[in-house]
Amino acid sequence: MGEAVYTNDFNFPGQLHAHVLRSPHAAAKIKSVDVSGAEKVSGVVRVMEGAEAAELLNPIPHYIDPAVFGGRSAKIRCLAKDHVWCFGQPVAVVVAEDKRTARYAASRIVVDYEVTTPVIDPEEAVKDGAPKVVPDWDANMIMQVPFANGDADAAFEAADRVIKTDVKVHRFSTQPIETRTYNAVYDAGTESVTLYGTVQNPHPLRNVLSKILRMPENKIRIHAPVIGGAFGMKMHGHPEEGLMCLLSKVTKRPVKWVEDREECLLIGAREQVHSVELAVKDDGTILGLRDHYIANTGAPSACPGWGMAFLTGLTMPGPYAVTDLDVMLSAVVTNKPSWNASRGYGKEVTALALELSIEHAARELGIDPVDIRMKNFIAKDQFPYDSPTGLIYDSGDYAGVLEKALEAVGYEDWKAQQAQARKEGRYIGIGIGYELTPEGGTLPGTMVAGYDSSSVRVGPDGSVRVLTGVTTPGSGNPTGIAQIVADELGVPLDSIEVVQGDTTTCPYGFGNSSGRSTIVGGGSAAKAAQEVRAKIIKVAAALLQAKDEDVTMVNGVISSKGGASIDLEEVCYACYTRAYDVASVIEPPLEATATFKPGLVRHTPNEKGQINPYPSYSNAAYVAISEVDVDTGQVKLLKFSAAHDCGKVINPILVEGQACGAIMFGIGGAMSENIEFDANGRQLTKNFMDYVMPRIGDMPHVALAHHDSPNPVTYMGLKGAGEAGVGGSAAAVVNSVNNALSSFGVMMTELPLTAPRVWAAIQEAKKSAGSQREGA
Amino acid sequence: MSLYPVFARPRSLDQAGEVLGSLSSGAMIIAGGQEVMPSVNYGMLMPEVYVDIGQVKELRGITEADGAIHIGALTVHRDVQDSDVTRSQVPLLAYAAAQVGGGWQVHNRGTIGGNIVSMHPLYDIVPSLLALDAEVDVLKDGTVDRVSLSDLMKDASHGLGSEALLVRVVIKPMPSGAGWAYEKLKITAGGYGSANAAAIVAMDGDKIASLRLVVGAVSELPQDLSQVLSNCFGQVWSDSLASALEAKVCDAISNPLSDHQGDGNWRKAMAGVVARRAVAAAIAKAR
Repeated sequence: MGEAVYTNDFNFPGQLHAHVLRSPHAAAKIKSVDVSGAEKVSGVVRVMEGAEAAELLNPIPHYIDPAVFGGRSAKIRCLAKDHVWCFGQPVAVVVAEDKRTARYAASRIVVDYEVTTPVIDPEEAVKDGAPKVVPDWDANMIMQVPFANGDADAAFEAADRVIKTDVKVHRFSTQPIETRTYNAVYDAGTESVTLYGTVQNPHPLRNVLSKILRMPENKIRIHAPVIGGAFGMKMHGHPEEGLMCLLSKVTKRPVKWVEDREECLLIGAREQVHSVELAVKDDGTILGLRDHYIANTGAPSACPGWGMAFLTGLTMPGPYAVTDLDVMLSAVVTNKPSWNASRGYGKEVTALALELSIEHAARELGIDPVDIRMKNFIAKDQFPYDSPTGLIYDSGDYAGVLEKALEAVGYEDWKAQQAQARKEGRYIGIGIGYELTPEGGTLPGTMVAGYDSSSVRVGPDGSVRVLTGVTTPGSGNPTGIAQIVADELGVPLDSIEVVQGDTTTCPYGFGNSSGRSTIVGGGSAAKAAQEVRAKIIKVAAALLQAKDEDVTMVNGVISSKGGASIDLEEVCYACYTRAYDVASVIEPPLEATATFKPGLVRHTPNEKGQINPYPSYSNAAYVAISEVDVDTGQVKLLKFSAAHDCGKVINPILVEGQACGAIMFGIGGAMSENIEFDANGRQLTKNFMDYVMPRIGDMPHVALAHHDSPNPVTYMGLKGAGEAGVGGSAAAVVNSVNNALSSFGVMMTELPLTAPRVWAAIQEAKKSAGSQREGA
Repeated sequence: MSLYPVFARPRSLDQAGEVLGSLSSGAMIIAGGQEVMPSVNYGMLMPEVYVDIGQVKELRGITEADGAIHIGALTVHRDVQDSDVTRSQVPLLAYAAAQVGGGWQVHNRGTIGGNIVSMHPLYDIVPSLLALDAEVDVLKDGTVDRVSLSDLMKDASHGLGSEALLVRVVIKPMPSGAGWAYEKLKITAGGYGSANAAAIVAMDGDKIASLRLVVGAVSELPQDLSQVLSNCFGQVWSDSLASALEAKVCDAISNPLSDHQGDGNWRKAMAGVVARRAVAAAIAKAR
């Protein structure tokens, strides 16, 4: 336990502070940068602009390089040189004795910009003659990727009806309360640098920094302390990471940068436009799916954000047994700020596009929203299931999960309440959302790895130290891993210390992402613990003069079949000190490192060129009950339920905490969180008054249910639990609002459903109903 | 704009007046800090001089004098909510102070004076004060003048000026039997309002004898619509009168705000909704 020490709590002798000067324009040429005014300010130690930084630093290697997948790849600099391609792009940096001085001095830097016309709208960006975001690209397109299977044209031909739904998902992000922070400490004695940082993936970042800084990896140490929320945003590729290391190197003093909220809000995600067409039969059977969608990924970045757009298509058609598919991604660049990874990693948008479309189809066909889903779910005896995009779903019981969610919310009772309320002039709605969330992902040729490693060390006193290659974004996986090791070793939980996030002490690993940490961190720690346990048992057996198989270790007490027992500490001490007699049966120390590499992943493309990057397919159903005030457009959530299949649950409190958090994300995204821009691409959303996350008073009661189908290819049947839920819960909210307003004919598929938008949709529906009456 | 600001802390009203009179426009008065400090922390404001009036005791507290209620400019929202005087004599104001966003911390630090002089269109206190015909005492050039709040609120771009200091708010008690309501529409719990309305109604049997209605958060300054609605006098409250009132209020909002709290069309419509709801609630409460 103890107190949490965050990155910003670290301060070192001679500590300096940096402020980054950012572009006020979405697109401009930089004609000159004059830093002399800043250098004159008392307390300023160093000022650097783009030209100098470009000489001292290499470009930032991409977390996931589009070129590896046949796309366009841009050179990403820590500071802009010659031109800027988005609002907020770093242009210069000031290092001073304190933060206020650095900020003040930055205002004394004169940048001569020649402003050019930006392109903000992705549909404009792909038109001929659109301004180029990246000057040497021939199109504003990272890549176009088809996800096609079967014969979609034939499916649409055979359909009774085609239901078309335009789903617009806006730009919303994740906002950890702890913003990004980096503190670089250069050690001239060893010519090495230590970066204390809000870092999700320490070892991969070390590799990236070695390239940027032109230093070998063994001269770089990353220390990632306790993190105050990450959600993907703290995956690396950010300019400030390499920049702080360089500034520490040139000043030979520690340099710290703390992102402010306005800067944190510059990191975008999720903005996509879908045109979903469902080929359906009158009985609700879905025969085919067509969806040519556009993702506005903003300006190029070295961060892994753009990959979200890819995952949206790869996860189609989610939990539904549709095989004839014509899905096409256009990942477009514009002069909006860049994306980074964001909880759900694109799979939340799949859920939104599918669930809003299915709700629309159910209404058009006059079928119950539950029935249309039940009719089209993949059946539980079809697993492992080969998806039309090449994924291999490990296990699931989607119908069973939805039934549990309906039961948890009290579906039948709410239907009765809805009918009663309608008589009283109140508008209650019931909405369902389903989300399939592939987790534990791994991409070939990238540091997005599917496996990970842990070391288990037992000291002479019997205390246990577990060092993992995985890290925690604050989700509590060290607790889950400690529980697993306690069980495997047979020792008390409080004797275990889990160490994470330090490249010097921990095994080479890939940190946290994609709901992987308990699957591979826990799996590898279990294997290592089993090896160490075998050694302890061997020596204990020698001490107790018993056979290995007759010795048990439970909660730190070692007993033999004959009834003799001995303390763990005594055995461990013997392991270290009696290597030439009783402990000669083992090789000291009591230490093992193991790797867990889940199955099911297929990186060798199949005959269609498809890979399966995921070993684990969590899934969940969400039901939202809302009431709409038709005078104002305000939506109040009355009740919420979720049933979750994350495989075997190690710690229910942690899993439920993750689920509730994701639901709050989903509600915020559906209702109010929105990053907005003016016509020139300048960001208007700057703080938490503008970026409206739900307050606790906006949250309904959430009833949670578990419906586990164990994963056959992971330790104990685990699936990821940390990432799922944003899209499914957002879809449930949107569907509940449309359901509440069905008597008006309202069907809103552009997010977020702010009160003004809901009100406008009601006015619009009333008007068109009125004009229809007049016409008749 | 200065990296090394000067900090002044006068201990009396006279001292505060002298300090303010001697300074240029770079001076920034700070009381509860709820308006100033976020802007300073954000780097939007870098005042040369802070004048902290927090120690000027004359500016704090709620008293009764000459048949009126005097509320010192430094009185925090929590005290306005909890005082027996405000609760019994101007319950509309006590209630409105409880609706200020930001939670306990803001209620404990934010002051009635700061709320008024910031002239922020989305704040909660002024609509009720206007409906109550409040007056304010302002210290300038060594003298204290009493002016009506509605005169002060005519122009949002000037405010009081950095050499002047709001001393207190003076309000007459609400007439006994009057009904009142403050209706605030928010798009999320704890946030700013998107529209609000303060109403005070006196009834004559089942007819409306008089009506004060001020609508806030929909235009740059709160709008007193009592005149516009004078045709309600002598009428019985009904669905059709409610609809007519709603339409009249919407029409009266000619230049609605369009911001993160909602677009102009919606704000204009919501002005009508909160007005109708406030008047209905006030009538229900009137005796």
